[in-house]
Amino acid sequence: MLKFTNTFRDGVGFDTLLVGIALGYLVVFSAFPLAYNLLMSFQDVDLFSLTSFDRPFVGWDNYREILSRPELLPILWNTVKFVGISVIAQLSLGFAIAMFFQLDFPFNTWLRGLFLAGWIMPALVVGAVWSWVLAGDFGVLNHVLSELGLIRANIFWLSDPDVALYSIIFANIWLGVPFNMILLSVGLAGIPEDVYEAAEMDGATRIQRFFTITLPMMRAQLGAVISLGVIFTLQQFDLFAALTQGGPANSSNVFQYWSWQLAFQNYEIGLGSVISVLMIGFVIAVAFVYVRSTRYEQES
Amino acid sequence: MTFQIELDQINKYYGAYHALRDVSLQIPQGQFVALVGPSGCGKSTLLRTIAGLEGISDGRIEIAGRDVSTLAPRERDLAMVFQSYALYPHMTVRKNLTYSLRLKRRKAGEIDTAVEEIARITGLDGLLDRYPRELSGGQRQRVAMGRAIIRDPKAFLFDEPLSNLDAALRVHMRAEIRKLHNRLGATSVYVTHDQIEAMTMADHVVVLRAGRIEQQGAPLDLYDRPANRFVAGFIGSPAMNFVDGVVAGDGRSVQLDLAGAPVLRFAGQRPAGEPVCVGLRPEHLEVGAGRDINRLDLPVGMVERTGAASYVVSDTTPELMIAAPVRVADGARIAVSIAPENLHLFARAGEGLRLNT
Repeated sequence: MLKFTNTFRDGVGFDTLLVGIALGYLVVFSAFPLAYNLLMSFQDVDLFSLTSFDRPFVGWDNYREILSRPELLPILWNTVKFVGISVIAQLSLGFAIAMFFQLDFPFNTWLRGLFLAGWIMPALVVGAVWSWVLAGDFGVLNHVLSELGLIRANIFWLSDPDVALYSIIFANIWLGVPFNMILLSVGLAGIPEDVYEAAEMDGATRIQRFFTITLPMMRAQLGAVISLGVIFTLQQFDLFAALTQGGPANSSNVFQYWSWQLAFQNYEIGLGSVISVLMIGFVIAVAFVYVRSTRYEQES
Repeated sequence: MTFQIELDQINKYYGAYHALRDVSLQIPQGQFVALVGPSGCGKSTLLRTIAGLEGISDGRIEIAGRDVSTLAPRERDLAMVFQSYALYPHMTVRKNLTYSLRLKRRKAGEIDTAVEEIARITGLDGLLDRYPRELSGGQRQRVAMGRAIIRDPKAFLFDEPLSNLDAALRVHMRAEIRKLHNRLGATSVYVTHDQIEAMTMADHVVVLRAGRIEQQGAPLDLYDRPANRFVAGFIGSPAMNFVDGVVAGDGRSVQLDLAGAPVLRFAGQRPAGEPVCVGLRPEHLEVGAGRDINRLDLPVGMVERTGAASYVVSDTTPELMIAAPVRVADGARIAVSIAPENLHLFARAGEGLRLNT
């Protein structure tokens, strides 16, 4: 018995247990759902067969069905715009604010901390607040704009098909900037001051210093922030649920929300799975880039 | 005469803190100047104001006859070697060396020729495609030097460039920097806290304390005729001994405040009865010199033996350090004597100014 407890405490037993816990967690909560989702994308799943593994296999039928849907291309294009504009804007604003807080002025760390307030709020709450701001009839934004004399008639930010997607993108940018800013601040703080001074002595202007010192030395952080930004933006569900539900007429719909609509509103669960599988493939590619960029960081 | 670097009444404040006080300095073309002083004396600040990395509150800086007081560092055409080397970590040695040339959009062929030349001078051939993290401390030091040399600047500024190297390499690089200076004939300003570095490398040594120049001159002038007690104690290793004393009735000798009240002759004349502080360099307290006057018979306290010399600390109050080129046994007495011209007399009050001529 003593021997057993000793092995457990000092030997391989304890190590195995620790690894086992982590591995078990991953298998149950990550690997199994992923595999199950992949399986469902090749099956005909309805509400009655949801709890059973024994479902008819339909081969690539679900995939063909999704690819033939007329809304596929508009939603794909919406998703590209949503991710592209969000990530670019979050990154550039986050980078600009991070550089601003590198300057030495009173209360700057304190103010930077305040920036995180938006980030720690639950996205659904953020969505509710933005739905008040953007509401067409009595929204805060319309009120402010008309008081300033910038608009005559109310703009229906969330129900006009031409602007609904951009309203969500705007809210999403606001939500993501603090995260970008903090991560990039850490990177900027890691660049030694004397390297900038050496560049200054070598004749580099402020702009040249940015492009030849700051940007290349931030390569790892930028890679990480872009990959994580793409992944987080593809996960963004709450804002769509709170603001437009993908409408009107799919004009603000994106893959992640469409997948949920198909699976849990239309109960076309196999079709919802197909979209998830496609998105997982894309996220894996992005994660690969992320891992590559952080590996570079460890080497240097 | 125009100087390569001329500082006129430089003052610098950090808020209420007066970091540089009326610093004036003239450096002719080709001179190697060392700024030396204890930490916090303002030597690095002074170098950084010359570089333009720090602004000045008052005064005027000229480089090669041009007023640069308000110009940005890149407009001053000076090169700096940093204590931390400050190499660009994301660039290879070649890119580090050529950074300034690439900024100036020099032709590729011209840059290649320059980098080969610099690599040969600094002994970096074969390392050009490495990253700084793959180099040893000494090699990084060379890259930092090469990066400065390749620009052919108006002057080189060194900010304690050797303090991150181990002792042996430091001695080696000391000679190498000085050789390089002779070869390039460039003007150099070198900051160090190590007075040996300053003495061995520089043509002209500037001793700073609390933002003020205490004394400047050729290294041996500072050693032979320190202007005040601070410089006397700072220059020379091991440091000078100080003993209080009173000028005797003849005005040509001083009675020391030591057991037995020994009286030593000094060169020159001072008013009788004047309270003074007497400076005696450890290496001037000669053991067994055949001298009839200026003898001291001291009890031996501790002895440090390096082989070539014995550093004897006398068992007196205050303790006296004697650098003896002979082997000394513990606990004995030691007879030393000192030549009158090697006695330094300083005022006991105020700044401790030098009294004897």
